[in-house]
Amino acid sequence: MNKHFNLLFLATENLLRHRTKTIVVCLCIVAILTPFITAIAISEGVREKSLISVNAGADLYLTFDEFGRNAAVPLKYLDEIKKIFGVTKVTPRIIGRGFLQNKLAVIVGLNKEDIPESISCISGRMFENANEVVVGHELARHFHLNIGDQFSMRCQQRKTFTVVGFFSSDSSIWGSSLIFMSFRDAGELFGKQDVSTDIQIYSLPGHNSEIATDLYDILQNEPYRLQDKHMIGLYVKKGFMLKEGVFSALYLVAFALGVPAILVAAGFGLSERKKEIGIMKATGWQTLEVLELISFEQLLISLMGATIAILLSILWVKGFRGVFIAQFFIAEITMLPKFPLPARFLPLPCLLSFFLAFLMTMVGSVYSSWRASTVSPVVSMK
Amino acid sequence: MEGINGVTGSVDEIMIRTENLCKSYRQHSQYEVRAIYDISVNISKSSFMVFNGPSGSGKTTLLNIIGTLDRPTAGKVFMYGEEITSFSDIALARLRREKIGFIFQDFHLIPRLTSWENVAYPLIPLGAGFTERFERAKFLLEKMGLGDRLEHAPEELSGGQQQRVAIARALINNPEIIIADEPTSNIDDETSAHVRQFLGELNARGVTILVATHDTLFEKIADVTFKMKNGRIV
Ligand SMILES: Nc1ncnc2c1ncn2[C@@H]1O[C@H](COP(=O)(O)OP(=O)(O)OP(=O)(O)O)[C@@H](O)[C@H]1O
Ligand SMILES: [Mg+2]
Repeated sequence: MNKHFNLLFLATENLLRHRTKTIVVCLCIVAILTPFITAIAISEGVREKSLISVNAGADLYLTFDEFGRNAAVPLKYLDEIKKIFGVTKVTPRIIGRGFLQNKLAVIVGLNKEDIPESISCISGRMFENANEVVVGHELARHFHLNIGDQFSMRCQQRKTFTVVGFFSSDSSIWGSSLIFMSFRDAGELFGKQDVSTDIQIYSLPGHNSEIATDLYDILQNEPYRLQDKHMIGLYVKKGFMLKEGVFSALYLVAFALGVPAILVAAGFGLSERKKEIGIMKATGWQTLEVLELISFEQLLISLMGATIAILLSILWVKGFRGVFIAQFFIAEITMLPKFPLPARFLPLPCLLSFFLAFLMTMVGSVYSSWRASTVSPVVSMK
Repeated sequence: MEGINGVTGSVDEIMIRTENLCKSYRQHSQYEVRAIYDISVNISKSSFMVFNGPSGSGKTTLLNIIGTLDRPTAGKVFMYGEEITSFSDIALARLRREKIGFIFQDFHLIPRLTSWENVAYPLIPLGAGFTERFERAKFLLEKMGLGDRLEHAPEELSGGQQQRVAIARALINNPEIIIADEPTSNIDDETSAHVRQFLGELNARGVTILVATHDTLFEKIADVTFKMKNGRIV
């Protein structure tokens, strides 16, 4: 026991003694791990937020099906759906995209009485009359919009909207480039009357399958699609896996460049080390003891590098709002988002990154140390 | 002291015996250098043996093989009748730890450690605590006249001082054998005299001493002097 403690202590001293090398290796680890940890934290945070909003949302989503894609639902079925037993609320929505000058905005149209209570982070007021809109803060900032300003969208120049409120910056990220208006205005903007992009159905718990059967009776001659909360949740998750995939591909390139840097840094000063190992062996150290010492050194340096990387990631997300990295995960934002990013630092990715660092430094040092300590001491002392 | 071919003392006293030791280095596949050739010596316990000979005659090579730092190309080394040339690396390292202390021609101190840390380094894997290591190193360094140089790094010491640090390190495990390769070649006459005297005292206390040297003054205190030439004992 004392022996292992001695070796651990000596490993710490060695890291301090070879300060330059320690710093260089540490920097390499930090450079490789920080983007990785940051990306995972943001991705986890956004995923969590989206799943929360899915859970707080409707129980069933009804759309029509055209060529296998979601298509608009005629409003004429609305009353019949409302009457189904177990249905508590039915909300038609229009969700679309359109350009405001050169910027793509997400347009959401809802009837005034269907606006969820959770939308409260607003400066100004909610729309009440025709052609009044509430605008996301990202858009408002970009076009310097103030309350009372008027604008029109590219797809429907004749319709003029008046800004009556903004989503403030601490609202959810989805609000950043949103234009929120009445269902009627949205229908007019897109030139579609009496249809909605989807119908959200809220139900009493446990009634979804009966509701589905009744819906079938109502809509049996139409190509429709009914999805429940669980499926929407799966789509959200899948979407994030795709985004993570794109990031991972980019990251892999950086990683491929970073690993040789670590190897070089870890191997740096090796000839001095080789001689040292030769002397140790000549004075009675066992190969296993030498390797234990080297492994302790790598363990400590990885622990240090990973800790610094995690702290830097937290700073990156909280202090710098994930600049340069957040746009991989949140399509609607620019390089530097103007709102706090949702982020979650889970223990598993942190642990994983520590193991990654340990693996890399071990690869860089253990083989050469093992070689140095298994040849005869005369050779390694040269 | 009966010299020729190095058979000294009676058989039961023999500590180390070599049998037809050969070591050759092969360079560029055809050209072969024979560093030592067909060396058989008996070394009695508590004897003082000196290997003398011109540069390149194979002294270092022979001592390294006897001291288990290197393996011979052919031949055997026995210690207390056991063939150590067939030992595993682990067993050899244990043997060095328990029985052998080395003093190298060019000191081989670890540059970034202080003198006392260098001396105490072999104790680390033995699990000795800080105080014990420091006290033992201090004791030996004081004996070597370096009581005021405990915290100095090797590059802050003169050659003679470094050599004395190296000697203190060789003694830290109370070895039965000290193998010294040119212990006086890099230091002045006065310090050399000290080193010779010190090795003589150790020998008087029963430590077996093997020295490779050009220094003819060692012959006076040696039990046996082997003359080496071209890898052979002559
Ligand atoms: N690693 C090696 N590769 C090739 N030849 C070597 C090697 N080590 C030693 N030799 C050769 O072996 C011979 C004996 O060398 P050794 O170092 O044993 O001599 P030495 O008697 O200790 O000399 P010195 O008094 O100069 O220290 C020399 O000819 C040397 O060139
Ligand atoms: Mg030599």
